[in-house]
Amino acid sequence: MSRPTPRRTGSGLLVLHALRCGGHAGLTRVAAATGMDESDVESELIDLAVAGLVTHLAAGFDVWGLTDAGRVADAEWITDELEAGGARPAVTAAYERFLVLNPELLDLCTAWQLRPIDGVMTVNDHSDPSYDTRVLGRFAALDQRAAVVCAELAAALPRFGRYRTRLAEALDRANSGELEYVADHVAASYHTVWAQLHEDLLATLGIPR
Amino acid sequence: MRWIRPLSARVREPAEVLGAKAHGLVALHRLGLPVPAGFVVTVEACRAFMREGRLPAGLAEELAIAMTGLEAATGRRFGGAQAPLAVSVRSGASVSMPGMMNTVLNLGLTTEASAGLATETGDARFVLNSRLRFLSSFASAITNTDVLGVAAGPGGAHGRGTGDGDAQLIEAIEKLVRQRGGRPIPDDAARQLELAVETVFSSWDAPRARTYRELHDIPHDLGTAVIVQAMVFGNRDDRSGTGVAFSRDPNTGENVPFGDVLFGHQGEDVVSGRSRTLPLHELAAREPAVWTALIEALRRVEGHYRDACYVEFTFQAGGLWLLQVRPGRFVGGAAVRVATELADERLITRREALLRVSPHHLRHVRTPRIAAPAKADIVARGVGACPGVAVGKVATTTEAAVRMAADGPVILVRPETSPHDMRGLAAATGIVTGRGGSASHAAVVARAMGKPAVVGVTGLVVDVAAASWGADGRTVSEGTLVTIDGTSGEVALGSPPVSTDAADAHLRRLLAWADDVSGDHSEREEAQRLSAAHATLRHH
Repeated sequence: MSRPTPRRTGSGLLVLHALRCGGHAGLTRVAAATGMDESDVESELIDLAVAGLVTHLAAGFDVWGLTDAGRVADAEWITDELEAGGARPAVTAAYERFLVLNPELLDLCTAWQLRPIDGVMTVNDHSDPSYDTRVLGRFAALDQRAAVVCAELAAALPRFGRYRTRLAEALDRANSGELEYVADHVAASYHTVWAQLHEDLLATLGIPR
Repeated sequence: MRWIRPLSARVREPAEVLGAKAHGLVALHRLGLPVPAGFVVTVEACRAFMREGRLPAGLAEELAIAMTGLEAATGRRFGGAQAPLAVSVRSGASVSMPGMMNTVLNLGLTTEASAGLATETGDARFVLNSRLRFLSSFASAITNTDVLGVAAGPGGAHGRGTGDGDAQLIEAIEKLVRQRGGRPIPDDAARQLELAVETVFSSWDAPRARTYRELHDIPHDLGTAVIVQAMVFGNRDDRSGTGVAFSRDPNTGENVPFGDVLFGHQGEDVVSGRSRTLPLHELAAREPAVWTALIEALRRVEGHYRDACYVEFTFQAGGLWLLQVRPGRFVGGAAVRVATELADERLITRREALLRVSPHHLRHVRTPRIAAPAKADIVARGVGACPGVAVGKVATTTEAAVRMAADGPVILVRPETSPHDMRGLAAATGIVTGRGGSASHAAVVARAMGKPAVVGVTGLVVDVAAASWGADGRTVSEGTLVTIDGTSGEVALGSPPVSTDAADAHLRRLLAWADDVSGDHSEREEAQRLSAAHATLRHH
């Protein structure tokens, strides 16, 4: 009995596209990105691997990544999804609004990491809660505007709704003291999720970097 | 006039009224240095605009009068079909908010004026390039996006060399402005000017600018001035160009001019990092008269500010013009060296030298640096995004970085980074990217990981197929050993000497002066010695 071919829509596409936008990842991270159960993610990944679209890196990594064929398939599937729903104009418009917010998000991440003291950019050691609170307050203000863009995107293509959830989660965790959820590379931090959203918009619209 | 002041040596008002940029231009006038003719709309007008939601009564009339004066000073006609006058419109608050507000170049190049300028110069390509600059900078300001980037796609610098694409780009930008449903760009010069002033005022309250002020404790009600000056064209011909210069090296504090120059381009290209710049000293060989004038100007502004300085300049057909000046704001070891040497030169007193250096600077004095960049083989230069030195073999892809990291340290070199590069960034010891500045994705991640990083290397080309990268016409293969300095933004071949005490001799002398002031010669930490001197000086 042969395995079913991976689905070009639904969860097959979600899992493939999560690797396209987030780079190599293990089950937990793909599950977080897609909102699926780890077991469902694993099942889809195995189907995708049999089809030659993803590959599993063992040797101390235990992560999955796209193959060249997977990258090509993703571009095709994601374009089909975009055009089938007639979503291109709405996603393009939302992307342009995202681009207005993007420099401000990067400013905020920089302010989180470095603060000027006597004109010297100094590593923010997070010993001054009032400074951190001020920066997080600006994150919250930006997040409100980002929520509008995410809502427009989700209305055009429902899978974008996941970013709203993940950004809100990151900000909640940061506000409750888990500071690595702002701009660190390890966690599903605000910056990490934002960068994946940026990559997703570029991939979805077929815009080269 | 109520809202407008001329840019001249006679103006006495402070930066709080004129904005810091215009205040600096007035200082340049007093020093007898060449500044394009112009005027400034004061921050008072901006505050009135913020209160009333429109340009204050009387400003349109004052703008018309001031333009008549500018026409008389330049012998040209604003929006005219013959000898048309084009102007730059720039923001300039009393406090520094770099990159937060708008600039419009070549304003007044209406369809008719462009035709007139083409007839006058006999250089249709120059005029087309200038009109493209006008439309893209104006459209970007109105729509609050990087219009040229959207219309042209990634990469792409727009100097004299790219004339063929300019007409298509102009069409694309005009289409984009129509699509956005914003106001079309008027083809009337006076109306363009009013709209540009209004747009610069509005940009004071853009969300990003508000965020910047919140983070830097800058009051929201300050407002910005607007500077209007006759254009000088860095894209006029092969003997024209633009650049930025420090009177001393901002990385080391050494008393040698330092900066970038770009031939055949207008000013924004240097700052935006869209184009490949050359080291400042290239100017000495190609335009010796401009070089000599610039060196003399740097000497005079240092004397005036009694500090290392930064200037932005343009040269048109072999003539130098200064567009901005400010103190250099050096940090770390460079601040220590400049303060000490300025005291030696008797430009400042030893007490002033001590107060010029913050105890916080001393923490950065010992950051590892490439010891003698002048002797190292520098293959590329960008912006230092995370201080420190990293030495390793070049990898041009994330896959290569992960693979090679098993055998020793790796420097990951990428055009820019995306989430796909996270494994490579994690595996690498240091990071180099082509696009993006000190707030780019790569810079944010590098700092989160505490890894030295150089970003925004202009002209960086990564050839993944050939497993090599290059900048400035040189090629470096994967596996080559390089050293990067995340403070200065230098990338050197091999492993040149690294030092943590580049400013040691200067620091020892400065701290000896500190002990003399405080009267305390006991063994203490360096920052404590300086703080004690500051405390004494502030009591007297």
